[in-house]
Amino acid sequence: MALAEYKYKDILHRCFRCGYCKFPTNWIDVNNCPAYARFRMESYSCGGRLWLTRAWLNGEIDWTDHLAQIMYSCTACKNCEEKCPLRFNVDIVDMIRATKSEMVERGLIPSVVKEFLENIQRQGNPYGKARAKRGEWIGGTGIPQYEGQEFLYYVGCVGSYDTRAQETARTLGKVLIKAGLPFGVLGSEENCDGNEVNTLGEETLFEMLAEENIQKFRDLGVTKIVTLSPHSYNTMKNDYPRFDGSFEVRHYTQLLRDLITQGKLNFSGGLNARVTYHDPCFLGRWNGEYDTPRQILNSIPGIELIEMEKNKTGALCCGGGGGNFYTDFLAGSESSPARIRAREAYATGASILAVACPNCMTMLEDAVKAEGLEGELAVKDISEIVAEVCGLA
Amino acid sequence: MDNVKKALAEIVGEDHVSAEPEELYIYSYDLGTTEPHRPDYAVAPRTTEEVQGIVKLANKEKIPVVPLGGGLSLAGLAVPLRGGIALDLKRMDTIIEVNEKARYALVECGVSQAQMCSYLERYHPTLTHSEPGAPGPATIGGNVAIHGQGDLAQPYGFSSDMINGLEIVLPTGEVCRFGSCSISAGWFTLHPLPDLGLFLGWSGTTGIITKVSLRLFPCKRIRGTGQFVVEDEELVPEVMHKLTHTQMAEDIIAYSQAIPPFTSGLHHITINIGGDSEEELEFKQKLLWDDTLGEYIRRGDGGFLGFRRGLDRPVVAKTSDWRKGGGFEYVGAIMPVDTYPECYRRGREISERHDIPYTVLGRCIGMSHAMMFSWTYAFNRADPESIRQAREALHESDDLALELGGTLWKPGLYGQKLVMERMDSNTLELMKKVKQLLDPNGIMNPGNWEVA
Amino acid sequence: MDIVVCIKRIPDTADVVGIDASKKDIEKDSLAFKINDWDDYALEAAVQLKEKQGGSITAVTVGPKEWDDILRRALAMGADKAIRVDQDMVTADCYAVAKVLDALIRDLSYNLVLFGAQSEDFGCSQLGVMVAEMLGIPHAALAVSLQVADGRIHVSRELEAGMLESYTIELPALLTIQTGINRPRYISLGGIKRAMSKELQVMSLSDLGLSLDTLAPMVRLEKLELPPRGKEAELISGSPEETADQLARILQNSGIF
Repeated sequence: MALAEYKYKDILHRCFRCGYCKFPTNWIDVNNCPAYARFRMESYSCGGRLWLTRAWLNGEIDWTDHLAQIMYSCTACKNCEEKCPLRFNVDIVDMIRATKSEMVERGLIPSVVKEFLENIQRQGNPYGKARAKRGEWIGGTGIPQYEGQEFLYYVGCVGSYDTRAQETARTLGKVLIKAGLPFGVLGSEENCDGNEVNTLGEETLFEMLAEENIQKFRDLGVTKIVTLSPHSYNTMKNDYPRFDGSFEVRHYTQLLRDLITQGKLNFSGGLNARVTYHDPCFLGRWNGEYDTPRQILNSIPGIELIEMEKNKTGALCCGGGGGNFYTDFLAGSESSPARIRAREAYATGASILAVACPNCMTMLEDAVKAEGLEGELAVKDISEIVAEVCGLA
Repeated sequence: MDNVKKALAEIVGEDHVSAEPEELYIYSYDLGTTEPHRPDYAVAPRTTEEVQGIVKLANKEKIPVVPLGGGLSLAGLAVPLRGGIALDLKRMDTIIEVNEKARYALVECGVSQAQMCSYLERYHPTLTHSEPGAPGPATIGGNVAIHGQGDLAQPYGFSSDMINGLEIVLPTGEVCRFGSCSISAGWFTLHPLPDLGLFLGWSGTTGIITKVSLRLFPCKRIRGTGQFVVEDEELVPEVMHKLTHTQMAEDIIAYSQAIPPFTSGLHHITINIGGDSEEELEFKQKLLWDDTLGEYIRRGDGGFLGFRRGLDRPVVAKTSDWRKGGGFEYVGAIMPVDTYPECYRRGREISERHDIPYTVLGRCIGMSHAMMFSWTYAFNRADPESIRQAREALHESDDLALELGGTLWKPGLYGQKLVMERMDSNTLELMKKVKQLLDPNGIMNPGNWEVA
Repeated sequence: MDIVVCIKRIPDTADVVGIDASKKDIEKDSLAFKINDWDDYALEAAVQLKEKQGGSITAVTVGPKEWDDILRRALAMGADKAIRVDQDMVTADCYAVAKVLDALIRDLSYNLVLFGAQSEDFGCSQLGVMVAEMLGIPHAALAVSLQVADGRIHVSRELEAGMLESYTIELPALLTIQTGINRPRYISLGGIKRAMSKELQVMSLSDLGLSLDTLAPMVRLEKLELPPRGKEAELISGSPEETADQLARILQNSGIF
């Protein structure tokens, strides 16, 4: 595709490369684009990617592995969109996605991205693990199969297959049982929600996943969905309606907050700890949901909630978006965004780093270990904190 | 891997050096109209020691080194004219120390203006620095290196006059310190000897600034901007003169622009003031608006548009999108204040002739000792003709500034030539000698300020 | 250059594999399938040659209807047409499959025939070489690099210990392709959809003048079984020096060294 066919050809040249896209809301450092934080080369900022897209489609530079890696190191965290002062800022993440789409269609993508997508095509998850094993996380918890209950608890790929995230998936299930919520899970019948496939630019695969999921949900009579992951929440809430899939979608924190205020979940104890909360990009900047998780934490007796320097609209992405929890383009250095974030959390004096996303969970827990902070800073999902104070070990 | 790249990787680590076409493409471009030139390597050092290593290697291999901060001078001063190493200094972004008593901040060269504002607001709210109104990512080092001016230029002068000390890596790799820091007496004063005349304003052609001790100034609790407008450009110099006499104002800027259309032909004068109390604020406002500007208002020659609390810092960079084009560049000149009317009229004529909505601005430096006058030309990056028009207009503005009796501030190659042609011949000769002394192999940002 | 690429459909090895009731096949119902990994590299090699030299690519396979999906992927990758011989064969019997492919290919117009070096399921490594012999054309197996110039092909093939053997072969020729020779491009779902308009021809054995009777097997599959669970593994612990010491002693005592 030449520049003339690129969807955003009319605005691509308008990026001035002023560099705002690298900063957080409060300007406190220049590390808020996760890829730029990792490499500190202009090519890795959003502006750099936009200029390189133009140069590639114009024929000024050729496709290389390095170019693909630069594009795919974008985690779609939306910090750039938040910060760009120009009027086309609402399109800039989509512009990078369109570049990735072009690479996908030409088959010119990094090997790990190819693996990611092919694994989803075959086994319905990016790890390539057997579809038949997707329900194994349930274990002996008694979490019920979905058979028409009021809520579908949608777990997602990371929660289903990653060992640490599976713990979170189970814990949330137990909390929902304790709250008396009528719900079920799909287990091995569950398939990838497609959010990452979408951000990676594989549009047709995403459409297929969405349409198949929507059909399956309809056939099962699903109307209300509660998701473990903000990634699933984002795509089911914002993208599925485009394919005639309109469901009442909530992220689990939103449901928990309601259950707590309705008295359906009662705390049997408190938690005396300093806690800092990391805003997940797909709940925060993508969906404007900053308050609900904080309300939950503030409602727990004993918790002292401290904010990191960079929070809410200015939160630093953990670096797990855009498939990077698997493709790992931003790993391998103390400048990896997850490690920077772990240090930022530690600097608040908190002993618990609270997360609300299984991707953030895996990225940050690994980072805490890499920083040598194991034992000093615990990474806990909000569901796990709630479970603890509800007397569910 | 070639040997130079290998050596660079040993200095900064593999992640922070690149010879890949993508990085070389990006680092070959200035954001203005300057033609791109490709470097051979892009390197991002973290420490002064790493910078030294790179410079020594460059001397050995006779490879040019081009230091780069935010790249927002827009005059092409960090375009690698002869290839070589594009040295991205933005990783050196530590604010090392803020000394409240002596009111200074010791920072690495790559600290951005935005970071500086944010940090001071958060941790030292009674201190402020002279913020240049460039987009936030512009660096402290870059700004002082080009004799920038910020929102404390009136009354305190150029940003390069607000320095207590510098750490410099010489083109031959040694580290020098200038100011009291040089005798390990802290970073609190620049004068007396040794002096810094060898590095400031030289656009990175005589050495790399790695640390700056920047003077900070009192930051009042309430800060804001008053706006005054006149129709007759001839009134601007006297208004500025009178305002500066009160010694009550901070930044004083007169600007005029074609967009939005209702402002075209008008001259807005923005005046920053601050006060720790309502009384202080009222007093200053009385002196400025009532006593000084009152006569213009009463005569109907000018209008007061009100005082708005809060300062926009850093300033938002929207000019680039005016032609929906992603680009702009400007000629900045240091001019006598009373040339404002001619600068405006002739500048407007140049703009209109090149089909670009005019934008001119004059920022008062010191007590009307001079002003920085800028002629800004927006262009559409996707339209080569609009780039050509902007470039032509810029060259004409360079000519104009000198014709009207001013001197060019941070000129690109075209303006540099004009200045060197008019320079006192002994001074020019001395420039050449200094450059040769400091940079015998000619590796520091060659092509810029090159005396024939 | 006209190239024929032979591909095979195999189960995704991530899946749990069980033996079916007949004990001569695996349970296929819950498995995901894909193109044999080696064949992916062969396809990519063909597409790269076509991009450089022009010409056409025909992807062929022998298998039942389900095997259309791998041909669709081949078409999406850059093949111009595809042919499937509709017959579910016991692929452990390479000779029979080779006879079918021989009958098919000898009637096609080609300069080069490509196979993957082996399959992920039975791993016989025989099919390509057999077909070359039957077609009566020169071949090289385990190609790790290839270049076409002036009607000849320059091939390097992999031996042991990193040694390479180089040949120049007159076309037409047949190569079996080793993994790692290139990076097979990603096939997007959009690409597969767009390739639906390309020709996929289905033939029967009788179209080739063959029947199951004429394809007497040279290899008969008696039984498939899961490997027996071994004795418990011995876990060696200690410092790296201690464990290395212990391991060395175990290896020595077992007669390996």
